[in-house]
Amino acid sequence: MRFMVIVHANKDTEAGVMPTTELLTAMGKFNEEMCNAGVMQAGEGLHPTSKGARIAFTGSEPVVKQGPFDVTRDLIAGFWLIDVASKDEAIAWMKRAPFAAGDEIEIRQVFAAEDFGDALTPELREKEERLRAQAAKK
Amino acid sequence: MRFMMLMIPGGYETAAPGTVPEDVERVALMMAYNKALMDAGVLITCDGLHPPSMGARVSFPSGKPVVTDGPFAESKEVLGGYWMIDVASRDEAIAWASRCPATPNEVIEIRQVQEMADYPEDVQAVASGFEEMQTTAKRLG
Repeated sequence: MRFMVIVHANKDTEAGVMPTTELLTAMGKFNEEMCNAGVMQAGEGLHPTSKGARIAFTGSEPVVKQGPFDVTRDLIAGFWLIDVASKDEAIAWMKRAPFAAGDEIEIRQVFAAEDFGDALTPELREKEERLRAQAAKK
Repeated sequence: MRFMMLMIPGGYETAAPGTVPEDVERVALMMAYNKALMDAGVLITCDGLHPPSMGARVSFPSGKPVVTDGPFAESKEVLGGYWMIDVASRDEAIAWASRCPATPNEVIEIRQVQEMADYPEDVQAVASGFEEMQTTAKRLG
């Protein structure tokens, strides 16, 4: 099962405060452990929302709103994609992540083709698999 | 430049466990959009996420991990899925997001991915193994 681990933003990440050498060292070690265990598929940090934008689809034309956006617990600062046997295993890994007091991460299961049932017709499924194979080659 | 297009579907914060897209027409439209991204050489990866009611949060209030099962009452906006794309500019990312066959309850947030070159030199030195780690992860994944 694949899980996305969402790292929530806070005032510091939104202000563009870079992590300390100490934290980077601990995070590098944690990532290395996940890589060596064959668990980590991807991990990225995102620039603050001040450099981002939002597109809303409320009317006939998409509406673009420029960042920054209000700092709430819902904003995202980064993520991992991990491949583990269960949600419990995902939680166990993430409890070991070297976060500071006040930090919060969210664990969400990624949809697999079989989750879609009939909505993903055999033709669409084949197209999806082809698309993924091509994107992976990039 | 790499960007994440974060899909934020209104109402997904209270979706029941096991909620999946059931509208064949909409899935087909989204697939056509994904294919357009791919044909343009823009798409790196994309995924959909099960609702937060099936998820969990790990918080570190005093430095020690505390696990809370979903759904999360305080969430007003949650992630439903994402695309990772590689484009020449932020404007190009916005143009791609604007073409998405999204519904009126959906918002797409564009966020630039941090590259090694964005970090100060001393940070780069400590994080030097990270890109290699990502390559290894991709090979295993």
